[in-house]
Amino acid sequence: MTFEYFVFMLLNGLSQGMLLFIIASGLSLVFGVLRVINFAHGSLYMIGAYLAYSLSATLTDGSMLSFLALLVAVPPAVAILGFVVEVTLFRRVYREEHLLQLLLTYSLVLILDDVVRVIWGGDPRNVARPDLLAGSVDIMGLALPTYNVFILVIGPVIALGLWLLLYKTRTGNIIRAAVSFPDTLGALGVNVSRVMTATFMLGCWLAGLGGVLVAALASVDLGIGMEKIIESFAVVVIGGLGSVGGALLGSLIIGVGITFFQLPFGRWALVFPYLVMAAVLIIRPWGLFGKPER
Amino acid sequence: MNWIAAALVLILLVSLPFVLMKFGKIGEYWVWVSTEMIIMGLFAMSLNLILGFGGMVSFGHAAFFGVGAYTVALLMKKASVPFYLALAAAPLVAAIAATIIGWFCVRLIGLYFSILTLAFGQLLYMIVFQWYTFTGGDDGIHGIPRPEILTPTNYYLLCLLIFVMCFMLMRMIVNSSFGLTIRTVRENMERSKFIGINVRSYQWLNFIIAGAFAGLSGGLFAELNRFAQTEFLHWSKSAEPILASLVGGMYSLVGPAIGAAVLMFLKIILQQAHKALIETWAIVLGCILLLVVLFAPSGLVGIYRKVFSKSE
Repeated sequence: MTFEYFVFMLLNGLSQGMLLFIIASGLSLVFGVLRVINFAHGSLYMIGAYLAYSLSATLTDGSMLSFLALLVAVPPAVAILGFVVEVTLFRRVYREEHLLQLLLTYSLVLILDDVVRVIWGGDPRNVARPDLLAGSVDIMGLALPTYNVFILVIGPVIALGLWLLLYKTRTGNIIRAAVSFPDTLGALGVNVSRVMTATFMLGCWLAGLGGVLVAALASVDLGIGMEKIIESFAVVVIGGLGSVGGALLGSLIIGVGITFFQLPFGRWALVFPYLVMAAVLIIRPWGLFGKPER
Repeated sequence: MNWIAAALVLILLVSLPFVLMKFGKIGEYWVWVSTEMIIMGLFAMSLNLILGFGGMVSFGHAAFFGVGAYTVALLMKKASVPFYLALAAAPLVAAIAATIIGWFCVRLIGLYFSILTLAFGQLLYMIVFQWYTFTGGDDGIHGIPRPEILTPTNYYLLCLLIFVMCFMLMRMIVNSSFGLTIRTVRENMERSKFIGINVRSYQWLNFIIAGAFAGLSGGLFAELNRFAQTEFLHWSKSAEPILASLVGGMYSLVGPAIGAAVLMFLKIILQQAHKALIETWAIVLGCILLLVVLFAPSGLVGIYRKVFSKSE
């Protein structure tokens, strides 16, 4: 492998990883505060992708402006859906055992995925890349799609934004306090259930953003939710449940890992996330960045 | 009293196919459906050994179901092994898989256990999916031979016989000192450790037993459909017995089997009512599940708890 090719593959893998990070960070954030593993996160991401498709079909000009409109409009729509789900359903099971929480989110997967099937049907869809991002960039003689570069930029921006939000603002302090000491936080007069709702909406916003981004990267079909939720699980497990920094590292490991494993192993590369996930769980169950519970 | 009820149910179940067969093609279809219900009931009961009695939420149980199915499919199709031997091999191979996977999984508890079972289940799924030359990949294995003696009615009766035998066996296991220990661990793992129970090895053994029964049900299922496909191992297949256990009642032996039968019955009824309605089956199932989770745990699981705490 030449050095140029190595860099090219690395950038490709990193852009895959960045997309995964945007989705998985939402899952991790929600787990951290709500202590619920949200199986439906993948479905929300898929809904974001289909919403982006429908909206782009009405804004047919394919300009950068209409693509930005998708980025602005779709994630909040998914967040609002998340608000409804959290207030009506999730809130009732926070004090129940894990199994019931998991089953609640799983029943949402069944319902949401089927609703998507009923509304949009089974055909693969995609969003045309805006003209500004449709071309490719020359990386040492190899053509990297501009769109991948765009994701490579957006990923770190989101990561930085999340870091600023969590560590440099009062809101972030409250969210982090809700992760560690929810009872104390409540005793200090903070409305913890509102913090939970807001965090859940933020998680859904990230899922929706991932949905918009993937809709122009690859074709969207009914399987993408299931596929990404498992990859996100892997990411979150590798990084540590609830750790956003861990989610970044985990996403990059998975994204770059799959890309490089594809060279010698072909389609067997898809086994990679599960292998890493199992290995981390066996050796260090609380993840690379997490802390052991108890 | 219980024995009389059980005998009555058994007589009804044995006579069912003979009655149904009187109704021609539709009757034959319902015999097939009933057979699948029995097999899925066995699968759900096998999971419940670890879920309800052991308190371990496995999201990878379909792996053993699939291993059993592929064992029967491969042995019969590629090695021309007779059905009865292939079926006997299914729980054995599944138990071997469960021994290896379980050894890792029982080292973790709670959510981490669930995620690791999910990871291993998907790992097996991917291997079966990718290994075209051996497992046929996403085409699966079709055309498993069917011994002539196994008419739909006879196959139903065979499955019923195996189901009843497994039920008796599980009853013995659950009521044995092993079963009681498993329940003790579920109720209080810390205390179990303090009184000298080797929690891990009990959970490991329970995991293997559950895997073996799941393998047997998978083998029966492969022969029923005369094919094995990768979906048998997928994690969404693992969710099915969990849902059945939840709906049927997790803390009884036969509850999950009833849950599996009820859910399948609803699905078929929906399908029969209108072809297009089957598209919405997942929505219906999801809503049933939502209702059970939100209202029935203070129903099914919750009522059980109340009864249990009263008897203490």
